[in-house]
Amino acid sequence: MKFRRSLLAGAIGLAVLAPASAETELDKLKAEVEALKKEVASAAEWKTPRTLVHMAGYADIGFTDTESEPGTFKMGRFSPIFHYQIDELVMLEAEMEFSVNELGETEAALEYLTIDWFMNDHAALIAGKFLSPLGQFRQNMHPSWINKMASAPVGFGHDQAAPNAEVGLQIRGGFGLGGISANYAVFMGNGPTAEGDAGEFEMIESPGLNGNGDGTYVGGGRLGLLFPDQKLEIGFSAATGDIDIRTNTDPLTYEGAKRDYSVLGADLAWRPGNFDVRAEYIQQSIGEQAASAVPDKADWTAWYGQVAYRFLPSKWEVVARYSNYDTPGEEGDRVQIAGGVNYVFESNFVAKLDYESNDNPNDGFDADNRVLAQLAYGF
Amino acid sequence: MKTATSNRVLALALAAGLGLSVTAQAAEQGDAKEGDFLRGAKAWADNCTRCHNVRDPKELRDDQWKTTVFHMRVRGGLTGQQTRDIIKFLQESN
Repeated sequence: MKFRRSLLAGAIGLAVLAPASAETELDKLKAEVEALKKEVASAAEWKTPRTLVHMAGYADIGFTDTESEPGTFKMGRFSPIFHYQIDELVMLEAEMEFSVNELGETEAALEYLTIDWFMNDHAALIAGKFLSPLGQFRQNMHPSWINKMASAPVGFGHDQAAPNAEVGLQIRGGFGLGGISANYAVFMGNGPTAEGDAGEFEMIESPGLNGNGDGTYVGGGRLGLLFPDQKLEIGFSAATGDIDIRTNTDPLTYEGAKRDYSVLGADLAWRPGNFDVRAEYIQQSIGEQAASAVPDKADWTAWYGQVAYRFLPSKWEVVARYSNYDTPGEEGDRVQIAGGVNYVFESNFVAKLDYESNDNPNDGFDADNRVLAQLAYGF
Repeated sequence: MKTATSNRVLALALAAGLGLSVTAQAAEQGDAKEGDFLRGAKAWADNCTRCHNVRDPKELRDDQWKTTVFHMRVRGGLTGQQTRDIIKFLQESN
């Protein structure tokens, strides 16, 4: 009798509680769905912010065996590039370059820092320190994951014939021209500087001077024509302005005798089939100035031609390059013939093995041949 | 005198660039189009290999492709329309 009463009480209890329990489960499920919705919305947030942040860049390491020196492992450069962008209005771009010298000390440099205002579909205003738009190698081809050889062509390194950077204003963009397209850049900046001694120029530098102590400006630009059906691009560069010879760096002093400065350049890129053909000519010139300690005019001229062939679908690539650098003096002149083999692990991760035959064409001077190996990674 | 002449030449060059930009802006008013996948595929093939090996669309996320292609707009002298087209192609192919 007692057992029956208990069973009845249990059954009544279950009957009363069952709807309440179902309701609790439903509330729980609703809460879980809401939480999931929030989680999904949160996960998708990165797709929609007005400000985007991104880091790109490149790095390389290698081994260099020079004829008259022992072979050495080389840590090349680590060059992160930071991008900050608001909508399609403006982008801040900055590239750092970290390297290590022979003493193991880390050196840092700001390669460029610009604020890019996208004014319309055909023009962007670039303000700040930018890579020189004159020619192609220095502004677009020098990153190690892009350059098909482990070194720059002679005359296209820092402070050689090809201008490196400018601090100033630049407008660049592109437009259609019938079946072809054109890209352009015009700029005005502080210009380069040069040093001279004993009647001869020692060097011309265009690191992007963050000052205009000589009171001169340089302006110019490049026009590129792209023929997409022929896979061909040709470009023409020119700049003009004034330059004053630097006599001391500390304190920074100039001669006070301004003279003409000009740049002329032409470049070509052609990609028929598996070939990649490139050539570029660039010349920086300084005019004569009777009142200067270095009165004569001077030219720094460099050119190169390069052919690469990719054995698709394999990852192997071969490359050959001829480059020539002519300076106002004799010591820095170079003629280089180089060849190499690349293994392209990924489009942005390449192993290179090159041999360079270097020669100074002037009597009494010599230049070392080199073997270079390099791993380059662009990210 | 020479300096003044050179600076005038420079100012003219910059003014010419600005003039080109303004003219282009006037010409394109109301002409901007959304990105197009097929046009983007062609612009990607025509332009990206001008300097470097072609990059796999799957390497980056949508937001990363946007900043990367805007960076390339500056480097390669792409038009705004080419930029939008290439972004559309890459974002739909990754």
